[in-house]
Amino acid sequence: MIKKIGRFLISFRFAIVLFIAIATYSIIGTVIPQGVAPEFYMEKYKSFGNIMMILQFNKVYSSFIYRGLLLFFLVNLTGCTIDLLPSQMRRIKDDYFPSPRKDSENLWDHKKDIELFKLQLLKKRFKIYDTEKGFKAAKNRIGVLGPTVTHLGIIVIILGSFLGNLFAYEGFVNLMPGETKTFMEQGFSIELEDFYLGFREDGSTEQYYSDLKVFENGKHKDSKKIWVNNPLDYKGLSIYQSSFGWVSNLSIKDSQGDILNQSILKNNEQYFYQPKHLTVYLYGYYPDFSIDQMGQPMTLSQEVKHPHYAVVLYEFGNYIDSYITEPGQAIKYEDIEITFEDSFLYTGLIYRKDFGYYFVLIGVLFLFIGLLMSFYYYPKFLVVEENSILPITRQNIWGFTLQMKKILQANDESEKEEV
Amino acid sequence: MDIIYFEELFFTLSFIIYIIASLGFFIFLVSSKDSVGKFAVTVSLAGFIVHTAAMVLRIIESGRLPFSNQFEFANSFTWGIVLCYLAIHFIYKFTAVGTFVMPLAFLMMGYASMLPKTIKPLMPALQSRWLSIHVGTAIISYGSFAVAAGLSVMYLIYERNKGKGTKKSHLPDAEICDYLSYRVTAFGYLMLTLVIVTGAIWAKRAWSRYWGWDPKETWSLITWIIYSTYLHLRFNRGWKGKTAAWFSVIGFICVIFTFVGVNVLLAGLHSYR
Ligand code: HEM
Repeated sequence: MIKKIGRFLISFRFAIVLFIAIATYSIIGTVIPQGVAPEFYMEKYKSFGNIMMILQFNKVYSSFIYRGLLLFFLVNLTGCTIDLLPSQMRRIKDDYFPSPRKDSENLWDHKKDIELFKLQLLKKRFKIYDTEKGFKAAKNRIGVLGPTVTHLGIIVIILGSFLGNLFAYEGFVNLMPGETKTFMEQGFSIELEDFYLGFREDGSTEQYYSDLKVFENGKHKDSKKIWVNNPLDYKGLSIYQSSFGWVSNLSIKDSQGDILNQSILKNNEQYFYQPKHLTVYLYGYYPDFSIDQMGQPMTLSQEVKHPHYAVVLYEFGNYIDSYITEPGQAIKYEDIEITFEDSFLYTGLIYRKDFGYYFVLIGVLFLFIGLLMSFYYYPKFLVVEENSILPITRQNIWGFTLQMKKILQANDESEKEEV
Repeated sequence: MDIIYFEELFFTLSFIIYIIASLGFFIFLVSSKDSVGKFAVTVSLAGFIVHTAAMVLRIIESGRLPFSNQFEFANSFTWGIVLCYLAIHFIYKFTAVGTFVMPLAFLMMGYASMLPKTIKPLMPALQSRWLSIHVGTAIISYGSFAVAAGLSVMYLIYERNKGKGTKKSHLPDAEICDYLSYRVTAFGYLMLTLVIVTGAIWAKRAWSRYWGWDPKETWSLITWIIYSTYLHLRFNRGWKGKTAAWFSVIGFICVIFTFVGVNVLLAGLHSYR
């Protein structure tokens, strides 16, 4: 019984079932929005939402079901690869020679010079074994390991990514120029010296640049300008340019112009001014202000050409009014003045350390070499005896036969030359 | 006259030539005249040359390879299909191969012609040398799968007409279609593997993670699993002929979905329209 289950687990049939299951589950993950709050599914899919939550359709790729499928796949693939190994080892050896197959076409032609054919094969790096009735030839025996190498590559990739994700260290940080982020574990910190955008003539954004300085125990160790596709690598941690945004200076003054309070706000942030129970909500800063078709404020580019702020005020949580202001232009409310000005950019950085990636690269190398061996370096055998020239291969009998026909044709021509 | 004018002219011209080639192949199929077949091949080759000229002009104009928006992908994809077709044709000398491949090329070009053709500079995430390797291999891979699917359709039609056996058919030997489709699929699969791998290495540099289950990534994996299944069934179960041919067609539908469907229907980091 146990043996039977074991055989099934490593069987080819089970592999096909897993292939289909993994593909289907993956498709579901691309069709149904992932990682949204459960209420969303309940509302959108009604009573079916419950079933979807149980089947974890809301987070397909990190679900237990998906991991389970991958685990079974790993067992299946490892099992069947090990299972194949002994017969493959046997087939690599010189004393192994397959018997002709159903699809072996007899290329015998009495006009051909067999000795010449033998030489031609030698030139093509075939190994020749003389027999009583003629000879046998073999090539690329090692290619029989192609599938094994391929499978090994896949095993390394899956295991590597599993383990890598388990131990990956990653996060996201927003930095304004002058700010520092410390990575305790790695024992260094980075300071954002400057962040700026590069523009093209047409005003579109060309790149995002962060000038970073690396410090270890207060000592300046390294500097690098990073941009998208050009991260900073330091002590195994990579730091990537990911996003950016605007920060704006808010000041609240009394009617004499004396500052009562100051703050800095990102877009969509608010400031609560206690004495008046006033909430100042910065809806957005628009460096190149315009109004879209829906009447909503928008920016044409990120270049500071025509800057404006969109601000909303609330008192005790009740809406008062919305305003569009220029930098420094005051919004008067009762006896106070509210102004936004001096906006500047901050950067959004992703940091990540994941040794799984290196396993994946090694696995990929195996996978690729394995595929090349399987498709283009597969074992080829020939039996040449009286009245028969039989090509034998499991892989690509048609191509191999074609190749042999060409050699035999050349055999004719070279004969003519000799005459 | 500026370069753009000629680029558009050559694009339209090659589109028309591809339509003529497809018609030529169709007539070849029903009339069984060798001369028509030769004519269709020559026309395809001429179309390819004009198309290549259009591509080169676009490369000169934009100063980069044409891999940055949906129009350029579709245009390059078409180019890849015709390139793979012509390569197979001249290696194996099967006139009829074009019969079911050229219509695919012209359909893909029709899709391209409906998209905005503006040349835009590369957005920050695309500014990488990995772009050319990643998309370049994709074009070859998808082109091979298109040829494989064309060969499979040819095989299926051949099988259907086999019983009737009245008129002499111009489809190459069914068995050769079957084998060739398998070999071309294997090559396309190797290229697809490269596409996924280069994509992962690039994603690691640009987005910090090598795999993120973005719809494009996921669908390329699904396509890859489908072709893995095809290769296994073929190799281990000796699947040949009809079943294999249908599988190859399904695989290609999956390729098209990964290419077009994902961009249109599923939003993600990869939707550079
Ligand atoms: C995504 C996963 C897999 C990939 C990419 C893969 C790839 C390959 C390749 C390229 C070949 C050579 C076939 C050919 O030349 O046409 C092969 C052979 C083979 N594979 Fe897989 N494989 C995978 C999973 C599996 C699994 C799960 C099993 C086990 C049940 C399996 C069993 C086999 C067997 C039995 C062979 C034939 C080997 C021989 O007879 O020498 N493969 N595989």
